[in-house]
Amino acid sequence: MGEMGESKSDVLQGTLDLMVLKTLETMGPLHGYGIARRIEQVSGDTLSLNQGTIYPALLRLEQRGWIKSEWGTSETNRRAKFYSLSRIGRKQIETATENWERVATTMARFLAPSS
Amino acid sequence: MDLIRTLLSRCVALFRGQRLDDDLDEELRSHIQLATEENLQRGMSQEEARTAALRAFGGVTQTRESYRARRGLPFLEVLWSDLRFAARQLWKSPGFTLTTALTLAIGIGMNTAVFSMMDAVVLRPLAVPDMSRVVIVAEEHGRGGDDYQQVALGNYQDWKQQSRSFEDLAVRSDASMSLTGAGEALHVQAGLTSANFFQVMRTNALLGRVYEDRECQPGHNTVAVLSYAFWQKHFGRDRAVLGRSINLDGQAYTVIGVMPKSMQYPSISEVFLPLAPTAQQRENRVAHDYLVVGRLRRGVSVDQSQEELRVISERLAKAYPASNLGWSAKVEPLLDGINGPLTPLYYRLILAATGFVLLVVCANVANLQFVRGISRRPEIAVRTALGAGRGRLLRHLLTENLVLGGIGAAGGLVLAAICMHLCKIAMPAQIAKYISGWSNISLNGRALAFSLLLAMAAGLISGLLPALKALRLNLVDQLKAGSRTTSASRETHRLRDLFSVAQISFSVLLVIGAALMCKGMWSMLHVADVYQPKQILTFTVDLPPSRYATDERRAAWFNDSLEKLRALPGVTRAEITTALPHGQDGWSDDFRIENRPLLPGKFQSAMRLSVTGGYFDALHIPGIAGRNFSRSDTINTQPVAIVSRGFAAKYFSGGSPIGHRIQMGPAGSPQEPWVRIVGVVDDVNYLWVDRDVEPAVYLNAVQMPPAGTIYVVNTGGDPMALVAGVHQAMAALDPAIPLDGVQTYEKYVTVELTGLIYAAVMLTIDALIALLLAAIGIFGVMANMVAERTQEIGVRIALGARPEVVFAMILRRAALLTGIGVAVGTVLAVGLARLSANLLFGVRPDDPAVFVSIIAAITVIALLVSWGPARRAASVDPIRALRTE
Repeated sequence: MGEMGESKSDVLQGTLDLMVLKTLETMGPLHGYGIARRIEQVSGDTLSLNQGTIYPALLRLEQRGWIKSEWGTSETNRRAKFYSLSRIGRKQIETATENWERVATTMARFLAPSS
Repeated sequence: MDLIRTLLSRCVALFRGQRLDDDLDEELRSHIQLATEENLQRGMSQEEARTAALRAFGGVTQTRESYRARRGLPFLEVLWSDLRFAARQLWKSPGFTLTTALTLAIGIGMNTAVFSMMDAVVLRPLAVPDMSRVVIVAEEHGRGGDDYQQVALGNYQDWKQQSRSFEDLAVRSDASMSLTGAGEALHVQAGLTSANFFQVMRTNALLGRVYEDRECQPGHNTVAVLSYAFWQKHFGRDRAVLGRSINLDGQAYTVIGVMPKSMQYPSISEVFLPLAPTAQQRENRVAHDYLVVGRLRRGVSVDQSQEELRVISERLAKAYPASNLGWSAKVEPLLDGINGPLTPLYYRLILAATGFVLLVVCANVANLQFVRGISRRPEIAVRTALGAGRGRLLRHLLTENLVLGGIGAAGGLVLAAICMHLCKIAMPAQIAKYISGWSNISLNGRALAFSLLLAMAAGLISGLLPALKALRLNLVDQLKAGSRTTSASRETHRLRDLFSVAQISFSVLLVIGAALMCKGMWSMLHVADVYQPKQILTFTVDLPPSRYATDERRAAWFNDSLEKLRALPGVTRAEITTALPHGQDGWSDDFRIENRPLLPGKFQSAMRLSVTGGYFDALHIPGIAGRNFSRSDTINTQPVAIVSRGFAAKYFSGGSPIGHRIQMGPAGSPQEPWVRIVGVVDDVNYLWVDRDVEPAVYLNAVQMPPAGTIYVVNTGGDPMALVAGVHQAMAALDPAIPLDGVQTYEKYVTVELTGLIYAAVMLTIDALIALLLAAIGIFGVMANMVAERTQEIGVRIALGARPEVVFAMILRRAALLTGIGVAVGTVLAVGLARLSANLLFGVRPDDPAVFVSIIAAITVIALLVSWGPARRAASVDPIRALRTE
């Protein structure tokens, strides 16, 4: 099944997942809006994220069992769905980070001016 | 792992669609609200805050769609919606749906029933694991051909010890016994087997245990294992039967086990007893009285084992030339041996015929679909205009057909169950017990799978062409024409014509095939009419060897019983024989003529019967030369025999055999006396399967009394009225002897032909259904053609065409279609008849009467059903026809 709904300025497949996981690791349980805002804030203006795309990603992570969700109340007393990391998700962050770093260093080596 | 978890969660989501949709909507709503609140805090107006929140979110609908695509299984959801759509469409045209589903149900049901029966009887009659490795080993005469025989124990022992191809070789034989001590004496069919028989068949006792090697020793063999059917019938499935004693032929046996229901080999065995040969019997290489069943080692083929046994047989022939010269071994899979050649042949024939019926059904459904496709054009045009893709439309149309097929399959299963029930209750018990697996016939998972497969195939076959046709339409023209039904294209007409031609061809083929077979069956049924079978009562008696061990005792029994029977009022004659014409009890035996030694390895054989002197008169078999048996031939005088005309011609090349002496039995069997030929009688066919009449030798039952015989009682009137009297008379002599198969000779012949009758009846049913469907098919095509051409016909009539001309025009069209169909069908039928005449007894391929009458009948039927549409065409009112334009 193809990756539907990840349009134009979307980040690399897997990158958004890692961002969500990392966000949940630092911030603890958070609702979808909070996750989207946090990613926007951390990335500054370099990433123009359609906040909606976060939801298919959250579903994907939940289907894999990396995160859990639960209805709760926001700081402004609104009903919202809160996501939190699962045990497997925590482990997943490590492997994903390693993978990502490997890719990043490889890319960096390619892009570095040849000596 | 991730994949499985994802898939699982998707499947769960499939069934909670509505709740999860609500959940998502609420989550998205809360997201927008949270964003709006934050924007408000930044000082935006309510309106601005909400717009900004929505903009930052991106498309709500898009998100929802991509979320859904990821959540459930979109493929299944689309299928489900297609199915619901198809069901709604079908519900809207109940007439079409009902007709189609019913037609499909007939086709699928017939096929499922035939398949289920074939499956139980032919494909897997025994629940034996690794059945392909189980083989029968027979012995055969060196002269080759299909003359194989049972096995001598001495040879079996050598095979078992010297061969490497088999995991194990078991031996068995059959015995008729009488069960006494529990009410009326009962005839019981026993299977005497070696202990390893159960290992070869990979079967164990359902209750208790099977016997062991130590119990297959003379003196230790007084244990019995019951078959499931016997246990059920006579002991009411009482588990306390273990340890009970039963009396068989005057010998007490202890019941130690019950076989499982699935164990139906040999199918006639009601009781299994240990085969306990004496040391002398073990060495015997002359008495070919045993059947050998073996299990091949893994990886050994039938041919390899055959080759190994051939080498061993050659060695044995050198070591024991007197008994073994000219004998070889023949290995064949048990599956082939169980049913013989006829049953699978009949089933294949019926399955093929039923398959043709399904094709006729498909053609009919396709024809209905074409008509429906035309009236649906506006709908399809509108949907195309609204953006439905061709793929999606095709899928809809095919889904609809699959739904139809599904409904047809459901109806078909009901029909199949009824059909199989009828077949089962119509099968005479005395035949059913010879058919392994008959009691296993049921609608099982395999039948279900088969019917579903048929439903899909039928749905696709009948739906694909009409659906493709329906899609290929000119959108603009169609929409311009509005909702008015336009006529079908030429191409569609050609396809529909093709379908009805095919239908007619298939039904001609099936009807001619069925008629030939029925005619063959009819002549077989009446083949014994010269013997006046309606007035003859027959039954069989097996004298238990324990109490009737000597010739004298048996001769005395026959004398006494025949006298008692002859004294009964209404009886004109009472005689005995060991085989009846056109029955299956005849058996062939070797013999030698005195002073005419045979070359080693050469054999002569003839049908061997034991009869009383009056037998020839009882069956009106004319004498040709010499004399009949007389009162002066007794047990103490020179044994005499009468031979058939064919015997004299074959072995005395036309010269008189009278006065010559012959000795029956295999070479080297000294216990058989030399008998003098005293007479010659006309030929009689004792094996209905053989068209060539075998030469026969009639021994005198008074001088050499057999153990098992058939009584032939001639009566002036209805033989069945005598049954009670016969039972009384026989019981007065010895109440412990059961009478078996008490019936008229006519019934006896009919029962022997059960398989053929079944095949003929099924084929006839198939043929009638095909004919009916073809008639409906051509009626549909003609009626539709007339309806579509109403305006054209109106114009013709308005321009002066006379109604008779129009009538003839329509009928000519029907005649053309029928003519082509009949021609093709006849060619197919001739080919089929040629083919089956070699395989089926009684079928003659060159039967012009059958061909001509059936071709005429089908042509008349086709023209008759076209009569109505043609009349309607002729009576078209031009003004009204043109006004509807």
